[in-house]
Amino acid sequence: MQNLHRQTLIGLFAVVAGLFLMIVAIPNWVSSPSNVRNIILSPVFWPYTLSALTIVIGLGLTITGHFSSEDMSQEKAEIPGGYGRLAIMAVVMVIYMFGLPRLGMVWTSMLAFVTTAFLVRTSHPKTALICAICVPLVLYVFFAHIASVAIPQGNFVRLP
Amino acid sequence: MSFVDSILAGLSLVGNFEAFLALFAGVAIGTIAGAIPGMSATMAVALTLPFTFSMQPIIAILLLLGVYKGGIFGGSIPAILIKTPGTPASSATVLDGYPLAEKGQAGKALGMALWASCTADLISNLALILFAGWLASFALNFGPPEFFTLILFSLTIIAGVSGASLLRGALSAMLGLLLATVGLDLVYGTNRFTFGDPSMMGGLNFIAVLIGLFAIPEVLAMVWDPKPHKGQTRSLGDNKVTFGEYKRCFKSIVRGSFIGVFLGSIPGIGAAPSAFLSYSEARRKSPNRDNFGKGELEGVAASEAGNNGVAGATLIPLLALGVPGDVITAIIIGAFMVHGLQPGPMMFILNVDIIYGLFIGLIVSSVFLFFIGSIAIRGFKYVADIPRGVLFPGVLVLCVYGVFAVNNNIFDVGVMFVMGWVGFLMMRNDIPAAPFLIAFILGPLLEDNFRQAMLMSGSSPAILFRGPITWFFWGLTVLTVIAIIRAGIRATRNLKRRA
Repeated sequence: MQNLHRQTLIGLFAVVAGLFLMIVAIPNWVSSPSNVRNIILSPVFWPYTLSALTIVIGLGLTITGHFSSEDMSQEKAEIPGGYGRLAIMAVVMVIYMFGLPRLGMVWTSMLAFVTTAFLVRTSHPKTALICAICVPLVLYVFFAHIASVAIPQGNFVRLP
Repeated sequence: MSFVDSILAGLSLVGNFEAFLALFAGVAIGTIAGAIPGMSATMAVALTLPFTFSMQPIIAILLLLGVYKGGIFGGSIPAILIKTPGTPASSATVLDGYPLAEKGQAGKALGMALWASCTADLISNLALILFAGWLASFALNFGPPEFFTLILFSLTIIAGVSGASLLRGALSAMLGLLLATVGLDLVYGTNRFTFGDPSMMGGLNFIAVLIGLFAIPEVLAMVWDPKPHKGQTRSLGDNKVTFGEYKRCFKSIVRGSFIGVFLGSIPGIGAAPSAFLSYSEARRKSPNRDNFGKGELEGVAASEAGNNGVAGATLIPLLALGVPGDVITAIIIGAFMVHGLQPGPMMFILNVDIIYGLFIGLIVSSVFLFFIGSIAIRGFKYVADIPRGVLFPGVLVLCVYGVFAVNNNIFDVGVMFVMGWVGFLMMRNDIPAAPFLIAFILGPLLEDNFRQAMLMSGSSPAILFRGPITWFFWGLTVLTVIAIIRAGIRATRNLKRRA
């Protein structure tokens, strides 16, 4: 029953997303020149068509979800603490992204490595710590010195 | 240009140490990555891609093709030794591979997997060489309406067969098409969902979307449920495959290779269904059919031939039509684009040296696969021991470096993280990610061909039905939809009957 509900929910999400695109997003965020004579050639035609198709698919999912007799007993079980870890991971990703220009890619990556290793409950903390230092440094050497990519260095410690 | 001239032109491109080294390194990386439980051939190709930006196009593409081929074979090693397929394509190998390992014949199973993989790989490469040029010369007659219907058919079949439900696959493809509309309009140059941000005017970066969809969700899945891989590694034993055993399985290997070639050349089918079909055909035709599932060497040979037979054949639609048949070829088409090349029929005229260089490289890769595979079988225990608690943080860091390296843009890293969460949500809700990515790549092409067709016809949709080629693809699209819906109804009836 739970999964049946999920199929319907996915369908409803698709319908809402399609309606949002048609009513709000496309009129506001897709610009079309005023001199386009034929709607088919307009820049808004394709997004409108795709949004309409999304709504149709969403309705299909909602209806089939309602009448489906799919076996829902194999629903994925909830994992204790899973949502908490995911929330921490989301924060890590935000800090990682905003930390790149300030701390530098190497140092931010080291911190992200350690935090992620902790989140996935590594059974090899020493190896993880060594890899947290070595992997970003090795990647820095490759990308900065071999591939000539301007890896962000940050405001504090600069690498050669 | 004659055939011999084309081969010589290709040889002049790849007949150097650098090209062979790249191919060798690619097969080695792919075999190792495929053998690591939790990694997949797709992830390996995606993570290798950023390292190829500074290389010459032919070297870069050979490296990626090597990773692809190595990855598909590498997946069979953990499938046999620890009952955990390294890649989904190796799922059928478990059926007889692991029982053989339990009997102390892991070395024999792995040896047969290697022989079958290399034979199938060679047959698949030859099929590619034979058919790609022919298909490309046929596709030279295609105009925008024909390409529009071809892409529509490809998307339909990919959406239909990638997951358990056609509608969820279609929703995934639709989201990919919508995401592809971000950026400047192809004809008028006006903004579409760019929010005035210059980073979005060129559209979302393909590699950020790709790595976000296929690598980050694995990291998030590990964070969600942190479990070390379980399974006891079986010893190899001192059993080796004899020529007599290879000869006994040869028929199944060749049959499996042709199944792989046929299914691989159709966009969307992929290696796993091919392996299972090859396995079931071998079981049906074998005099030892009762032994299948209990440790039959022919079962290992058939499934490995089935999944490796796909590898070269998936490049047929990619090179000849510019349409990726699966996620890995979608990544490879991205590599072509990064290096300023557009696969398709015109490439057989404009870049014939690269095409023939790739053909030569692919043939050589089968030989490399044999040697590297033999070593990898013995070195597996070191690969299997890589702790997942160290592997996945490493993957995260690698993704960030790789995505940043594309455009030196932190915005792309943000796109990758967002797409990672989208991919994770899709994974949790059984929405296949492959149609999303392929639709994202083919979206601009689909729209471009549609608008060109409309311009040609003065906006008359009749042009989309203008000749036998368009009718052929419309017919295939309708047949595909009917077949998928019928299969869905049949599956529902079976479920009801069982309940």
